[in-house]
Amino acid sequence: MSAGSVPFSGMIDAYERVTGRIPYTINIELPGMAIAKVLRSTMAHARIARLDVSRARQLPGVYAVLTGADLLERSDIYPYFGPVFRDRPILAIGKVRYVGEPVVAVAAVDADAAQEALDLVDVDYDELPAVFGIDDALAPGAPLVHEEPPKAGHTFADIILHGHPGTNICNQFKLRKGDIERGLAEADEVFEDTFYSPPLQQVPLETHCCVAQVTDGRVTVWATSQIPHMLRGNLAEVFKLPTSRVRVIVPTLGGAYGAKCYPAIEPIAAVLALSAKRPVKFHLTRDEEFVTVTKHGGRITLTTGVTRDGRIVARKSLCHFNTGAYADIGPRLIKNGGYGTAGPHNIPHVWVDSFAIYTNIPPAGAFRGYGINQAAWAYESQMDVIAERLGLDPYEFRMKNLLTEGQTFATGEPVEDCHFRELLTMVAKGIGWDATTRRTRQGPIVRGKGLSCTIKSTVTPSTSIAVVNLNDSGSLNVLTSSVEMGQGQKTAHAILAAERLGISLDKVVVVSPDTDATPYDQQSSSSRTTYAGGAAVQLAVDDVRAQLVRIGSGLLGVPEDAVEIADARVRTKAPPHRGLELGEVVRKSRSGALVGRGTFQTKGNLDPETGQGVASAHWNQAAAAAEVEVDLETGKVRLLRYHGASYPGRVVNRVQAELQLEGNVGFGVSQALFEEMVFDGGQLQNATLADYMLTSTEDMPRELVVHILENRERGDIHGIGETSLPPVMAAIGNAVFHATGVRVKDLPITPEKVLRGLRERDAADQAERNAHAAEPVR
Amino acid sequence: MPESLAFHEPTSVADAVGLLARYGGEAKVVAGSTAVTIMLRNRLIAPRALVSLGRIQDGLRSIREEDGALVLGALVTHREVEMSALVRERIPVLAETFGTVANVRVRNVATVGGVVAEADYASDPPAVLLALDAQIEARGPSGERRIPVADFFRGFYETALEADEVVTAVRIPIPPAGTRGSYEKFVTRSSEDRPCVGVVALARFDGQRCADLRVAVGAASETPRRHPEIEQLGRGTTLRGDVVPTIAAGYASAIDALDDMRGSSWYRRRVIEVWVRRAIERVASAASQR
Repeated sequence: MSAGSVPFSGMIDAYERVTGRIPYTINIELPGMAIAKVLRSTMAHARIARLDVSRARQLPGVYAVLTGADLLERSDIYPYFGPVFRDRPILAIGKVRYVGEPVVAVAAVDADAAQEALDLVDVDYDELPAVFGIDDALAPGAPLVHEEPPKAGHTFADIILHGHPGTNICNQFKLRKGDIERGLAEADEVFEDTFYSPPLQQVPLETHCCVAQVTDGRVTVWATSQIPHMLRGNLAEVFKLPTSRVRVIVPTLGGAYGAKCYPAIEPIAAVLALSAKRPVKFHLTRDEEFVTVTKHGGRITLTTGVTRDGRIVARKSLCHFNTGAYADIGPRLIKNGGYGTAGPHNIPHVWVDSFAIYTNIPPAGAFRGYGINQAAWAYESQMDVIAERLGLDPYEFRMKNLLTEGQTFATGEPVEDCHFRELLTMVAKGIGWDATTRRTRQGPIVRGKGLSCTIKSTVTPSTSIAVVNLNDSGSLNVLTSSVEMGQGQKTAHAILAAERLGISLDKVVVVSPDTDATPYDQQSSSSRTTYAGGAAVQLAVDDVRAQLVRIGSGLLGVPEDAVEIADARVRTKAPPHRGLELGEVVRKSRSGALVGRGTFQTKGNLDPETGQGVASAHWNQAAAAAEVEVDLETGKVRLLRYHGASYPGRVVNRVQAELQLEGNVGFGVSQALFEEMVFDGGQLQNATLADYMLTSTEDMPRELVVHILENRERGDIHGIGETSLPPVMAAIGNAVFHATGVRVKDLPITPEKVLRGLRERDAADQAERNAHAAEPVR
Repeated sequence: MPESLAFHEPTSVADAVGLLARYGGEAKVVAGSTAVTIMLRNRLIAPRALVSLGRIQDGLRSIREEDGALVLGALVTHREVEMSALVRERIPVLAETFGTVANVRVRNVATVGGVVAEADYASDPPAVLLALDAQIEARGPSGERRIPVADFFRGFYETALEADEVVTAVRIPIPPAGTRGSYEKFVTRSSEDRPCVGVVALARFDGQRCADLRVAVGAASETPRRHPEIEQLGRGTTLRGDVVPTIAAGYASAIDALDDMRGSSWYRRRVIEVWVRRAIERVASAASQR
């Protein structure tokens, strides 16, 4: 962009979006394409006693009917998959582990024929005892969801495994910083509180969809995936093929929020395509989406030691995450959710045990916030519990403990570029926080305010590669496997490339992921797409720039250090800036196009026994302040005002940045007040969006302000996709406490929980008054 | 579907009734299709045929005043009731209640006939229709009949309609001049959720004294409830002071509140008590402002 121009803000594909012209995966139609449907388990835990698909196979219009047993028999298929453990059968083998697990898959001429075939399947189950909650699963002698220890496979570099064979513990993460016993002994007061988060849905507007084709020894899928290259690897393993023979194409996604991180439906579509010998489309209905991937329900107990003057000296965290019937990414998430419980606080002694627990509910995986939502709900709620008991102002108590530049996080690594205090101060000012603020009351309506401040890592180590082609017209194609899912990846990468090369934005096209053509990118998640994917794009442009300087200096007949790239030209630094347009350099070089390559890699790892090391290449920082009103007669909470603040480093696209931050507030309000998957005996009770509640526009605060703390000089980009979500729930919970004196420890904060809390509080007050009344007057 | 689902679009009520009779209880009437589509998709119903009322004229789309009553045709949408100048003038609480249902996208298609025939306990309009002594007009093979709302709702998704009857209109007597009404919808979850409890209060004042009080509670039990023996406590009073909490407590203990994801039975009773009191207070204070 030339100097003085207004930076682009918005989406480069906005027109296509609002006119309905974005080609999503569901729009893919191939000649002869069959439609897939799946018969799902009606049992939470059962042996498959009999499975007869013969009548389904005979139905006209049915091309393929597959069972887990069929897949197990095939020598060309490895019938298990998963991002860490290969514990998930493509279709149930031998037994089913949750209600909704795929048992039989059908490909047929249309959806009606596929459904009709499923209706002709006879299946008998022998029910097994099941475990649904954490305590069920950990009870001595509890039935095992997986009898055998899960098989590990090729996975991410940061995964730490501590198995507990013979139990339902899927994985454990340990962190030992300092000396916890000494720390707790040194504390003047020790607080122990337990907080709960329910299983939730990511609810992307677009449900999972996959179109698969198997021809000429190659597997091609069009998939709604946040991780094209890992999906390629998983499918290659399933098909026992070299990864080069698998091709994953990812059109724009209609939202993901973590739901589309790891393989789920793609192996089913692909084995059906193999068996049907024709392309197959598999598109989940919303109720199927509900049982495909979820957010971990969690229980976190924090034992926190504090000095009388309000310094946190020790924290012991016991975290249990319900990972459901299959591990998915649970084995890694417990690490983030585990060390995350230390929060953005300077605590010398930290001890964490964090567990992923197998149960007979649908698998839990990645969810915007990635374990930090559960952790932050716990530690930021407990901050106010402690402040109240010690008689401290929650703002001052936080300011006293927030990490400052160079202090160490729970993992022992110093935290740099640290802005927690500034962020907390921004939101406190915004909401009008004041230590003397008392709740206000008007009739049955009380008002209160709450604060919260959180820290989130980004996956480390991680790698992104980008390739850019500078065409002989001076335009640029950016090849990356980063995924556009509505967050604005294409726009962000185009801006970064255009400004780095100094060309106008309309000359840049960002290509959608296609693993045959676009280079490796680890994952479009963990708030890393603009940060890490974008860094690779910038490095690739730098590579092209170096080539331009080299070639241009030759063409201009001056030394390399005498040329510069400016105004879309390679020119001499000295006036009168004799030069060539970029396209001209390419043409004269006779290279066809200049190809730039950039690899961005972060380093780090944690010691498996102590959790000490480097957990994150940088830290995503946020704070929140909420004001609520509560109806004391019904317990109903209304969010009146909300101020959120985040540190994005440098903002690439202001409109999109603000929308991400606001979107996170919507997610958080929903989780604070409404969302919850309700199970009865492993059967989900609210698998529709009429019964599973999301926040509506009406529930959003009338005053919603997102503060962006920028640091343009430093120039680093910090991810914002998730950053501002974790503080929302506790800010609201703390405001409810401030208004009512009722501390709800299990999300969501329903009116009924608040009303019960008010009754208990009133009963306790009454008991205290009675006790005083009974004391003899001296 | 195991069998293909027939779809009929009769052009008269008589033809619709004929079709329903032919299928003998295995056909479902569909109008706005906000409810039927969800039930079909979730396989809660498995009819052999759908009988769409979409092409029927027969006055099913009109809102008119007739013999001291408002007559809402079965195909009138929620949004039309909400926005109708006639309804707003004659029975404002009716427009107000239909205006609280779901969101504008749903209200643009969901019909008056549909909401009564579906008989979902968590719909807003049934309670207000009960309080207003409305009648459901239905036509079957033997002609038309009027069913008082109090007799119409029988249980969860259960009405007094015969399998071959079609709701053609809802007839609502216009309350005497000076009647004030208020519908108080209480949601425990998102603002677009169905009510946990809905309370309608109607009061007519004769000077400072209440000449008539009607209170109906919806969404808290299988069918909307009115308790005349409790309502009458308000008559002759100013609807101030102790009588209002007494009435509210009476409703809370008289209604056998149900348990669902929107609230437990215990919680609903607490809310009924609060909301009945507030609804009466609201009509009482509106009355005093005249």
